[in-house]
Amino acid sequence: MLNAGSVFRFNTMSLMQIHDPSGAARPIGIDLGTTNSLVAYVPLIGEPVCVLDCDVDALVPSVVAYREDGAVVVGKEARRMAADRPEDTIVSVKRFMGRGADDAETRRLGPYRFATSEGPVVKFAVAGERVVTPVEVSAEILRQLKRLAEDALGEVGGAVITVPAYFDDAQRQATKDAGKLAGLDVLRLLNEPTAAALAYGLSSKQNGTFAVYDLGGGTFDVTVLVLDHGVFQVRSTGGDSQLGGDDMDRVLAERILLAMAGGGSRPASASRVRVALDSARAIKHALTERDEVEAEIEVPRASDVVEAQRITFRVTRAEFEAWVKPLVERTGVACRRALRDAGLQASQLDGVILVGGSTRVPCVREYVATLFGREPLTSIDPEQVVAIGAAIQADLLAGQGPSDDVLLLDVLPLSLGVEAMGGVVEKILPRNTAIPASAAQTFTTYADNQTGFSLHVVQGERELAEDCRSLARFTLKGIPPMPAGLARLTVRFDVDADGILKVSAHEETTGVTQEVEVKPSYGLADSEIEQMLLDAYDHAETDVGARSLREARVEADRIAQATQSALATDAALLEAGEGAAIEAALVRLLEATRGNAHRVIHERIEELDHVSKPFAGRRMDRSIARALAGRNLSEVERETAHAQGIERHLGRETDG
Amino acid sequence: MTIDPFATLGLARRYDLDPSEIEQRYRDLQKALHPDKHVAASASLRRIALGKAVEVNEAYRTLRDEQKRAEALLAVLGGAAAASGEREQADPELLMEVMELREALSEAKAARDAALVRKLAGEVLAARTQVHAALAAAFAALPQPAAPSQLVPVAKLVSRLKYYQRFLDEVSTFEESL
Repeated sequence: MLNAGSVFRFNTMSLMQIHDPSGAARPIGIDLGTTNSLVAYVPLIGEPVCVLDCDVDALVPSVVAYREDGAVVVGKEARRMAADRPEDTIVSVKRFMGRGADDAETRRLGPYRFATSEGPVVKFAVAGERVVTPVEVSAEILRQLKRLAEDALGEVGGAVITVPAYFDDAQRQATKDAGKLAGLDVLRLLNEPTAAALAYGLSSKQNGTFAVYDLGGGTFDVTVLVLDHGVFQVRSTGGDSQLGGDDMDRVLAERILLAMAGGGSRPASASRVRVALDSARAIKHALTERDEVEAEIEVPRASDVVEAQRITFRVTRAEFEAWVKPLVERTGVACRRALRDAGLQASQLDGVILVGGSTRVPCVREYVATLFGREPLTSIDPEQVVAIGAAIQADLLAGQGPSDDVLLLDVLPLSLGVEAMGGVVEKILPRNTAIPASAAQTFTTYADNQTGFSLHVVQGERELAEDCRSLARFTLKGIPPMPAGLARLTVRFDVDADGILKVSAHEETTGVTQEVEVKPSYGLADSEIEQMLLDAYDHAETDVGARSLREARVEADRIAQATQSALATDAALLEAGEGAAIEAALVRLLEATRGNAHRVIHERIEELDHVSKPFAGRRMDRSIARALAGRNLSEVERETAHAQGIERHLGRETDG
Repeated sequence: MTIDPFATLGLARRYDLDPSEIEQRYRDLQKALHPDKHVAASASLRRIALGKAVEVNEAYRTLRDEQKRAEALLAVLGGAAAASGEREQADPELLMEVMELREALSEAKAARDAALVRKLAGEVLAARTQVHAALAAAFAALPQPAAPSQLVPVAKLVSRLKYYQRFLDEVSTFEESL
């Protein structure tokens, strides 16, 4: 965090100089992966880098182990504990994010003890008589990454956390909650493919249309985007949030378990499953280099067998490829759909970027090459590229980046709608709509004197609501009695730049307007989050008040600087007396930052905001006018540069 | 429609817009408006920019889709009434044609005859291309302002486009299921 002493001892004159970059905390980018997680940052001088642990390794296994004594272990050590304590060691927790406890898929996913609870959220019962949610488990991983970054950087600023583009609203919300819980200032959730494109796009300054093929541990994403002079516009995205390298491990592990059972049909113990999965992963890695692997595997003792056994498991690459072929081919469906949604043929692409550890598997690369009719790009490590892109975005959002010309334009990954009569989904925002976006739809009552209206908000592409992901249910009450069909109920969807949805509804025929904000029914209630945060603070013995004050001061500093520079550059747009009023409010805000009451600071921020509102409106209208003018001139120039960018890029690839 | 998407993107009210120009306008405007460009700004400015960014996104969504663009153009030219009148007394010739096409499609789908589905889709695509050309000419020939009666034949073309689009969407859904 910023050093309060040096930052807040200022007057209005010195305001423009207070940002001493060496004293400022560095923003970080986090790739919160299913199998491994990474943290990266952009140094003051030089290229973005991943933070390495003491083994000089960038990958932190996304594994969290809970011990009897209450200690929590994260990363490699936790993965070593997994074989002995499979129920207390949560691997691939990302797959549980935002999932309901009664989700059919949930219980298939691991050897865990699921705690029975009233709430809709999955909970794990782990050692030390603890019950933890996926959000809490993810927060442990994020905390570990934060510590790692702090070791390298001293203080850590805001964070950008990546999510698969295909994550639905529930999964995004859960990820953001985990970040909050880990004490991170989450600047933005960024889609993984966009992050990868950002890493590539900025390092080679190329223009064109690209597909990002991202096969990670637990998710598959494909995204088609256009790079145009620093603008990264996502045209379409698709994928499968339940497909990844873990599935390849599972296919292989099933074969290993069969070999372990030696023809017997007893259900495998949790520790056997764990050993089989670990062996499978090691064999998969070995098969990227070799055509055949022979592994000695120790079979964990079952209670009725006295001595440990060993088996020899032999597999060729051809066999492995045949087993995983159906999984790899599942990615093709999403790729074709994404191309179609973008209105493109594979031949119109300028390149295909590979992301995710699973794209190291040779048959995956071959499949991609065939599918898109070209060799994919791999010059940036496919396992680090997302974290690096996230770091670049964090840097840009924190205003410390090198360039003002980078912008990410994203889309909604899955259609949003409400359940209408007969269980059919009425789509309100279709998939691949550019975000931020809003849409409203009007409904009416279907019974006389109906005073309540139930709404079921869903996300997905299927026609029936029961086949889609249920996001929220709520009832709008207090509609005055009137004949059927007369009430006019407007449901409004607002999706922000993170892809997170807010729904509101109101009824206004009789002048009675009611507004309801939906609380997600899938995740955690705000009060639960608050309690968890409080617990976390207690744990770290942090003073909540001090934190609020520090945050308020940082906010005040930010706003004051923005206002100051607006006054300096756009003085011409000020009306008589307006500048003086804004400056007076600014002075009052600065006074407040010298005090210790964070509430007063927030009040003054609002005051300043209020007096500068008309000025802000005029500035915005002017930037629109400017954006609409001033084209044409540079058009020809741009087209030429565009073509050169692609050539340069292609030349680079063939050289490498 | 209360907002004119052509005005929002600063484009001429014509049907045959250059797609790359739509894309370019969209990107230029978002460079000025997107929330990421205003993270450090005051709350009012952020709210204003967000509202405008949403509006630009909506205009972009409308104009990049030919059918939605045609409907929007008809609406801003005062043809909303003509369009809804058209819906009530749909062109019997068009209805017949569409019914035959859909029947052929559902038979091909039931037989899971992908080649036949593709052939039908090809025919509809060709027909749609003709409607595009006809629409561009019809819109360009309209006097400003146009009388409601002059908009009726244009509205007919728009509803033809809509039927073709629905047919092609059904084909896509089928192809994905293969």
